[in-house]
Amino acid sequence: MAFLWGRNRQRSALDLVRSSKELLLRLTKDDGQLQKTEEELARTLSVMKTTLQGSPDTDAQPEQVHQLVSTILSESLLPLLVSNMHRLPFEARKDTQTIVSNVFRFRNAGSTSNEPDALKEVLRLQPGIIVNLCMGYEKRESAGACGGILKEALKWDAVAAVILYDEPFPDGKTIDIYNDVDVSKKSSGNGVFWKFFDWIDKSSFEVSADAFDCFRVILTKHKQLVSQYINTNFDLFFDKYNNMLVKSESYVTKRQSLKLLGEVLLDRQFYEVMTRYVDSGDNLKLVMWQLRDERRMVQYEAFHVFKIFAANPNKSYEVQRFLVMNKQRLLKFLPRFLEDRTDDDQFNDEKAWLVKAIGNLPDSTSALQPPGAITPQTAGRSVQQQTGLAQVH
Amino acid sequence: MADDYQMLEELGSGSFGVVYRALHIPTAEYVAIKHIDLEGSDDDIREIQQEISLLATCNSPYVTSYRASFVRGTKLWIVMEYLGGGSCLDLLKPGPMEEKYIAVVMKELLQGLDYLHSTGKIHRDIKAANILLSDAGLVKIADFGVAAQLTNIKSQRLTFVGTPFWMAPEVIQEAGYDFHADIWSLGITAMEMAQGEPPRSDIHPMKVLFIIPKEHPPRLEGNRWTKEFKDFIALCLNKDPEKRPSAKMLLKHAFIKRAGRPDMLRELVLRARDFEQNGRAMDRDVRYYEETLKSMSSADEEDDWVFDTVRPSKNATRKAVNTAKHTVKRRKLQRIPSGNATNVENATAALEAMNLDAAPLGDITNASTTGTTRDMSTIRTPKPRIASSRKVSAITARKISIASPTSRRVSRNISSHAPPTRPVSAAHPASKQPLGPDMSFGNSTSTVRQFKRVSSGPKPTISPLQQPPQTTSSPIEDPSPFDSDAENRPPPVHPVVAPPSLPSTKEAILGRRAFTKALDPSFQETHASTSDQTKREALSHVAEAWSNLNAVDPEGELLLLKSMMDRIQADPKLASALLPARVVNAQLASLRGNRSPVKGGGKKSGSVVVMVAEETAEETDAEAMQTSTPTKGSNVRTSSTPQQSPSKPQAQQQSPGGARLVLNPQNPHLQRMRSGQQLSATTAEKDAKALSSPPPPPVMASLLDEKMPGRIEPGLEHVGLLGDVLFGRWAEGLRMRWPVA
Repeated sequence: MAFLWGRNRQRSALDLVRSSKELLLRLTKDDGQLQKTEEELARTLSVMKTTLQGSPDTDAQPEQVHQLVSTILSESLLPLLVSNMHRLPFEARKDTQTIVSNVFRFRNAGSTSNEPDALKEVLRLQPGIIVNLCMGYEKRESAGACGGILKEALKWDAVAAVILYDEPFPDGKTIDIYNDVDVSKKSSGNGVFWKFFDWIDKSSFEVSADAFDCFRVILTKHKQLVSQYINTNFDLFFDKYNNMLVKSESYVTKRQSLKLLGEVLLDRQFYEVMTRYVDSGDNLKLVMWQLRDERRMVQYEAFHVFKIFAANPNKSYEVQRFLVMNKQRLLKFLPRFLEDRTDDDQFNDEKAWLVKAIGNLPDSTSALQPPGAITPQTAGRSVQQQTGLAQVH
Repeated sequence: MADDYQMLEELGSGSFGVVYRALHIPTAEYVAIKHIDLEGSDDDIREIQQEISLLATCNSPYVTSYRASFVRGTKLWIVMEYLGGGSCLDLLKPGPMEEKYIAVVMKELLQGLDYLHSTGKIHRDIKAANILLSDAGLVKIADFGVAAQLTNIKSQRLTFVGTPFWMAPEVIQEAGYDFHADIWSLGITAMEMAQGEPPRSDIHPMKVLFIIPKEHPPRLEGNRWTKEFKDFIALCLNKDPEKRPSAKMLLKHAFIKRAGRPDMLRELVLRARDFEQNGRAMDRDVRYYEETLKSMSSADEEDDWVFDTVRPSKNATRKAVNTAKHTVKRRKLQRIPSGNATNVENATAALEAMNLDAAPLGDITNASTTGTTRDMSTIRTPKPRIASSRKVSAITARKISIASPTSRRVSRNISSHAPPTRPVSAAHPASKQPLGPDMSFGNSTSTVRQFKRVSSGPKPTISPLQQPPQTTSSPIEDPSPFDSDAENRPPPVHPVVAPPSLPSTKEAILGRRAFTKALDPSFQETHASTSDQTKREALSHVAEAWSNLNAVDPEGELLLLKSMMDRIQADPKLASALLPARVVNAQLASLRGNRSPVKGGGKKSGSVVVMVAEETAEETDAEAMQTSTPTKGSNVRTSSTPQQSPSKPQAQQQSPGGARLVLNPQNPHLQRMRSGQQLSATTAEKDAKALSSPPPPPVMASLLDEKMPGRIEPGLEHVGLLGDVLFGRWAEGLRMRWPVA
C-alpha cells in the first residue's frame, strides 16, 4: 500500500477517476477482499475531495478542479458513486457527498448559464442521477448523504422538475425535462416524487425526517413549478398527503405535514391549490379531527389549516354545512382551545377572530343556500378578513 | 426499538432533554439515552434533526458516538454511547486540575476538534461541561446541540451561539467566523480546568459579551504553570482568528507533545467519584426513569364533531353511519346550551368533552404548563438543588405530583453550567424570548447563567418593542369583560355582553402574561444578581410560591399584582422609585396638561387630572416608541394601548364621555429629565388634540379626589392593571436593550 501513498499527490485526474470506478465495481461483488477495496476506495475518494474543495489550510487549484470535474463527467463516475452510496465506508460516504455537491456546483469561468455547467450537463444527459439520489432514501446508510446532495441541488428548479416529472420508462431511461414534459398530463403516480410519501411514512425517524425535509424543499423552493404540478395532480397528491402524512401514525410526520400544509396553502403562489383544498368537506373533516388530537402541537398546527377553511370567503356548500352543523361545538371548543398559549398574540387574535367568524354563521343548515351560492355580504366581509389573516401570517 | 432498552437512572439533563442510563438488552451494553419531548416546544423538529444528522456523521474515538434515534409517542429518543466518567466539569468539582492532566485532556480534545474541523463541522460550544470521559479515561466531545455543518469547507458562519464565557470575540461580533472559534473556546476551557472556572466568571454573562471583544484576552498567570502551558493558552486566545493556530498545528505544540496517556485521567475520575460519594452521600436521591402512562382515550363520543358520515381513520373504527344518525345528533346538538362561555358549567363540560385532560400532557388545561413553550425562561421546579454532576446521585429534584413529562424536562442542566444558546430561526412567531436568563433556581453555586439570544438574523423575532400592530382591534370589537373588579360583584351584574370569545378567562390570561412577561423574568433576573446563597434560596422560595399561585389562580395573581401596583402608584415616593418611567410620563402629561389645565381641585396631594381626547386605534402606531420615548399620554395612553389587545376597547368603554383620567403625583425633580426626552411627531399631534379637548367637568374632578391613595374606584382598576403591563414591558425592554447598549 505504501506505493499508493507516495503517488497520491501526483495522481492525475484520469487516474483517480478510473481507479475509483474500478474499485466501485469491485465493491459490488464480494471477492473476499472487501476491506482492502473499501480502504483503497476511501483513500481515493478522499484525495478527490481534497482536490475539489481544498483543505482548511490550502485552497483548491482551479485548474485541477476543472480537470477533475470534466473527467468525472466524461467517465460517468457519478452514477456509479450515487448508486453505490450505501456500500461505501462511513467516511467515504461523506467524501462522496462533498464530491458530488462540488461537481454540481462547478461553473466554468465566465459561464452565464442559469444552472452551474456541470449540473446542467448532468440534467441534460444523465438526469437519472437525480432520481437515483432520491432512491438513496431507500436505505438508512445512503439517506443522509444523498439527501444532503439533493437538498443543495434543489436550489435549481430543473432538479425539482426532474423529480416531479419522473416517470418510469420501460427502457430504464429518465425523462428529459427539456423536451418531454407535458405539464398538463397527469402523473401516473409511479415516479420518484411519489415515493417520498412512502419514505416519509415508513422509514425510521432519521430517514423519515430527512426525506420530509427534502420533500419540503421540493414543495417550497420552486412554487410556480410545484403549484402547477399539484394542480394537475391534485387528487392524487392530496390523497397521499392526507392519508399518508396527515393521518400518519408518527407524531413527527403528522405534525410536520400539518405545518407544511398550512404554509403551502397560505402561500400566494398556491392560491389555486388552496381554493381547491378548502372547498372539500372531507379535507375540513380531516383537519377538524386533528384539532382534537390529544397532542397539543398537532392541535396547534391543525389550527393554522383550519383557519383557512373558516376564512375562505367562498366556502363550498359542503364546508359551510359542516361548519354550521358544528357551530355550537366549535364555539364551545375554540375559546378553550390551547388557552395556555397566552403569549402567542397572533394565535390568540386569530382564535378570537375565528370564534367571531363562526359565531356569524347561520344556526342551522336550512339557512344555507344550495351548493355554489353565497351571500354577497358574507363574501365581502370574509375577503377582507382573509386578507388580514394572510398578512398576519 | 424502545423495547430493546431497559431504562435506568437519570444521568442529568442537557440543553434539550433528560438523559438516562439504559441497558441495551440485545448487546448487554450500557448506553445513554436522551429523551427530548417534542411537544415541549414550537421549535421546528428540523433543528433537532440537524443535531442528529451531525452526530450521525461523526465517527471518531474522540467524539461521543451516536447509536440510533427514534420517536416514541411525542418523545424523541437519542441513543448514545454511555460514558461513565462524567464530564470534565465534574472532575473539577473536587478542585482545579493539575497541569499534567490538563495537557492530556487538551491533547485528546484537539484530536477530536481536528476530526470535526476536517469534516467541516464547528462545535461552537466547547467547554468543560461538554467534554465527557469514559471510565477508562478516554476523552470525548459531546453535546452537538449548536454545532454547525459547513457545506463548503471555506464558508463562514454568522449565527450567535455558544455559552458567553467561552465564546470567541468574532462569534460575539457576528462578523463571520469559522473553525478558529472552537480554538478560542478550547483556550478558555483550558483556563477553566486550571482555575476551576472560566475567566471573568464573576461577571454577569451578558456583560461578558461586551468585555470579550473589547478587552485584552485573558492570560494564565502565576508560577504554578509552565511556560509552555501559558504559551499554549496565549496562542488559543488570540483575538484575531486568523492568527489562531488550527487544531492540527496545536497538536504539535510543546505543551501537547509532552502530554501523557489518557489513562492517567482515571485518577481524576476516581477522585471525582470519591468526592461525590463522600460529600454527597446524604443527598442521594436517584431518579429512575418512569414511563408516563397516558390513557389514549378517544374523545368523548357525545361531543365529537358531527359530520353525517364517518370518522377519520385515526379513531380506527370506521363506523357506518346512516343518515338517521345525522339527525339524531343534530337534535342533541340543539340541546347544548348556546355558546355563552361565561357559564362555568358549560366550560367545564366543554373541557371534559374535549378530553384535554386525557391528553398526554395531562395538565394542559392546568395553568402550570404555561411554560411548555417557553420553559427556557420559566422557573418550574424552583426547588433549590445542590450543585451536582451528571452523576447518578445528586439530582434532588423530587418528583412533582403532577409529574408530567414536561415538568421533568425542567430539571435541566444538572451540571450547573449554562447550556448553550441555540440558533433561533427567525421564522418563529412566538415562544422565543429575546434575552431571558434561563436557569433552574438555586441549583448551583456557579455564577454561570443560561440565557438565549435571538439570532441576529434579518429580524429579531420578538422584540417586545416590535409587537405586531394590533390586529385585534378589528376582530374584537365587543368590549371584553376585562374587569378586575369581578370578584366584588356577582357576574350577572355585568351588563357587558361577553363575546363568545374567551370571556371569563381574560384575567387569567393577563395574569399568566404578567407572570411570564414580568414576574418570572424579574425573579430570574433578581436571582441571577443575588450571590448570597441564603438570599438566593429565600428568593427562589418566593418564586416557587408565586409560580404556584400562577398555576392555581392566575386571576388572583392578577388582582394581587393590581392592588400592589395601585398602592405603589398611590405612594409618591414608591412611585417615583419604582415606576420612574410612569412618573416621567405623568410629569410630561401634567406639564402639557397645564396648557389646558385642570387642576384636580388641588385638594389632595397635588394630583393633576389630565384629560385627553379620545384616543383611537391609530395610536398603536406609536406604540413601539412607548417604552423608550415617553409620550404625552402617560398612563392615559398606556391604558389605551396595553399591547395585549383585549383591554384596550375595555378601557375606552369604561370612562364615560370618551375621556380618561389619570392621577399622578407630581414629582418636581423629574422635570429635569424631561429635557432629555424627545417628543415624537405623534406626540405633538396629540398635544394638539389635548388642547382642543374640553376641560373635564368638575364633577369628574371631585370624583377623582374621592379615590385618592388606597381607594379603588370601580371602573378604574384598569389603570393599575395596565400599570403592571407597562411595568412588565418596561422591564422587558430593558432586558432587550441590554446587550446592545
